[in-house]
Amino acid sequence: MGSIVLSGRQLQRPLSSLCRSCSRRLLPRLSRSYAAVSSQQPDIYDVVCVGGGPAGLSLLTALRSNPTTAGLRVALVEAQDLEKVRSWKLPPDRFSNRCSSLTPASAQFLDNVGAWAHLHRDRVQPYHEMQVWDGVTDARIEFEWTPPAAGKTIAYMTENLNLTSGLLRRIDELGGVTVFNSARVAGISFGEETEDLDLREWPVVHLASGQRLAARLLVGADGANSPVRAFAGIESRGWDYERHGVVATLELEGEGWGGDAMKIAYQRFLPTGPVAMLPLPGNLSTLVWSTTPANAALLKSLSPKDFVALVNAAFRLRPVDLEYMHTISSGQEEELAWRLQHTQFNRRAIPQTVVGVQDGTIASFPLKMRHADTYIGERVALVGDAAHSIHPLAGQGLNQGQGDVESLARTIEFSVSHGQDLGTRMSLESYNSERYGPNHVLLGVCDKLHKIYSAGSGPLVPLRSLGLSAINALGPVKSFFMEQAAGNGIKLF
Amino acid sequence: MKALPPCLRSASSRHGLVQNHALQRRQQLPIATAVLCSTHSKSGRRSFSVLNRPPPNYPGHVPLTGLERAALAVGSGIVSFLDPYRGDMIAALGEATASPYFIERLRRAMLASPTGRRILRDRPRITSSSLNLPRLRSLPARTVGGTYVAWLDREGVSPDTRSSVRFIDDEECAYVMQRYRESHDFYHALTGLPIVREGEVALKAFEFANTLLPMTGLSMLAVATLRPAERRRFFAVYAPWAVRNGLRGDEVINVYWEEEMETDVDALRRRLGIERPPDLREIRKREREERRRVKEGAAAQAVAS
Repeated sequence: MGSIVLSGRQLQRPLSSLCRSCSRRLLPRLSRSYAAVSSQQPDIYDVVCVGGGPAGLSLLTALRSNPTTAGLRVALVEAQDLEKVRSWKLPPDRFSNRCSSLTPASAQFLDNVGAWAHLHRDRVQPYHEMQVWDGVTDARIEFEWTPPAAGKTIAYMTENLNLTSGLLRRIDELGGVTVFNSARVAGISFGEETEDLDLREWPVVHLASGQRLAARLLVGADGANSPVRAFAGIESRGWDYERHGVVATLELEGEGWGGDAMKIAYQRFLPTGPVAMLPLPGNLSTLVWSTTPANAALLKSLSPKDFVALVNAAFRLRPVDLEYMHTISSGQEEELAWRLQHTQFNRRAIPQTVVGVQDGTIASFPLKMRHADTYIGERVALVGDAAHSIHPLAGQGLNQGQGDVESLARTIEFSVSHGQDLGTRMSLESYNSERYGPNHVLLGVCDKLHKIYSAGSGPLVPLRSLGLSAINALGPVKSFFMEQAAGNGIKLF
Repeated sequence: MKALPPCLRSASSRHGLVQNHALQRRQQLPIATAVLCSTHSKSGRRSFSVLNRPPPNYPGHVPLTGLERAALAVGSGIVSFLDPYRGDMIAALGEATASPYFIERLRRAMLASPTGRRILRDRPRITSSSLNLPRLRSLPARTVGGTYVAWLDREGVSPDTRSSVRFIDDEECAYVMQRYRESHDFYHALTGLPIVREGEVALKAFEFANTLLPMTGLSMLAVATLRPAERRRFFAVYAPWAVRNGLRGDEVINVYWEEEMETDVDALRRRLGIERPPDLREIRKREREERRRVKEGAAAQAVAS
């Protein structure tokens, strides 16, 4: 509201629509001329983004690549060394274990901001079909596009580091972002009032190095334990799943049943959580196995051949066999060989046999559901994991963040082109209203799916199988879900 | 169930009581390997007709259509109700009603236990030759082997009276059924229940609570054929005992009887969480004597008056 009533003092603030060169010229003079009065004058930016992950980097890329917002003075604060990300390189046959699925909508956005071309495209694997089934009853749903759209991409599997390093290269190409690399945030507070600047409502980021950055808009892209969110006093609610996601890069016996041109993603719902195998280029795949912390600890302690056996078992054997195989500390390989003789399954409906796991790629992380009460405050906006954490079963975490960024960049563009103060709550309102609902629905759906499939027995089991089979049989309903998952369905909210 | 003439398994008794490993191995159900991983889906397997019967999944297997299975269940159920000594009919009833679900549940119970898994892997068969009865007779009476052989001798039955499983489609489930059937006598030994109709019904109630096999539940219908006094005793004593112990105790299918021969039977009962029911044979004997005394007393009174 304050931004409408333009008092004389407020007029002295650097205007958001000032071009970069002007404000750059203006600011040093400001700080220089008042250096005698106050040596503590913070650096003033239009947008300070805390966190250089996929969400933060995408936001800066989007702002810099848009002519309307390119004039903003923007800064990035990242605690880790971005040099490592920038120089990230792996041999073509080695893949990082942290991969995400990018929907066509997210890929389109990245292409619009010019970042898609900077990714190592030979390390990005599109997939065209999904096989999802119930580990208890074997009820199955097959997501494959019907003939007119046959072979269409459902999503792209991308290493997170490939994405962030590509975004960094794009930002370097665009230039104009002040990067505070390896900079720890010591604290965030409101600014002070001086003779000609009233920064009492402006957040000021104090870096460990002693630098201070005043932000017209402070963006929290700083992950699940967001200091920006804590500063804004926004509560994040939810629960821990008491599950860990185990990831690994796997080597398969072949390129998949559909060959290199037709890749398939697989997910089996076990009572301990879903296990997913998602295709990477060649004969590689990435594993995401949500399981209990105890099972995750066992998986990480197994020898490679027993780990591989347990992964193969996870897609083939009955839950009771898997449960037993998690109680022994070795010998899973032999157990699998015996049980395979007594277990019936369709070989071509499950992933090809895993033959190896890449060294040092087995890791795990705890799973939780969190949703911030709001994504905005006065001069504060949250994006990505700072705003929400989701169960990975639908592979939507990164895409939600991309959706946030796209919406926030559009909101900022609107403010800039209409001469509004881009940091006020009123300017940010459309971002919150656009993203909160869809994110909340998706969080809820994934949460309920997790809960429904956590039951190993009882009346829920036949009901959920009936539901899954019904959706599988109803073509239009299935197409609707696929379009929604691909991010190009009709807007529901 | 016990009184089936021992003609079916004369081969094993001819081999005498020698512990022969080759013989034992031959008695195990062969593991059909390659066929199992084929692309046959469940629905594909059901589509056969009487004219187009698929090949058996294991030696002795008779694939049945759903209708045939239902007819078998009804027919064998009626015959075994009318004549509880038709062990073959009770066996057929057990197989016809075990799938779907029940036999899979029992296999799941075995797979969940390390010992159960070992049994499924080794697939031991219980016959008089595999058990080495003379050795069991030399064991102390407190042991499982001693109790079992004493029970065999007291009831006058042999372990060789069990027919092979034929009507269960999955060959591993067929072994589970075979194992249940062959362990049945050990349940008698474990609980001390006799093979008279009343004891069988009580044991079947226990087995139903423990294994959930429908045949054992259906066998409880035989309670209708008991004498009123026996029926009262069943509902007052043995049914509550069966339900409590069957549900609370461990799955008895997971006992590797061959390895428990020298275990103290009370220790095994404690381990499984099963209490021994009142000795039915003793009760019946006492009641018979009581009746006779009453009758004699009445006769004496009648003479005196």
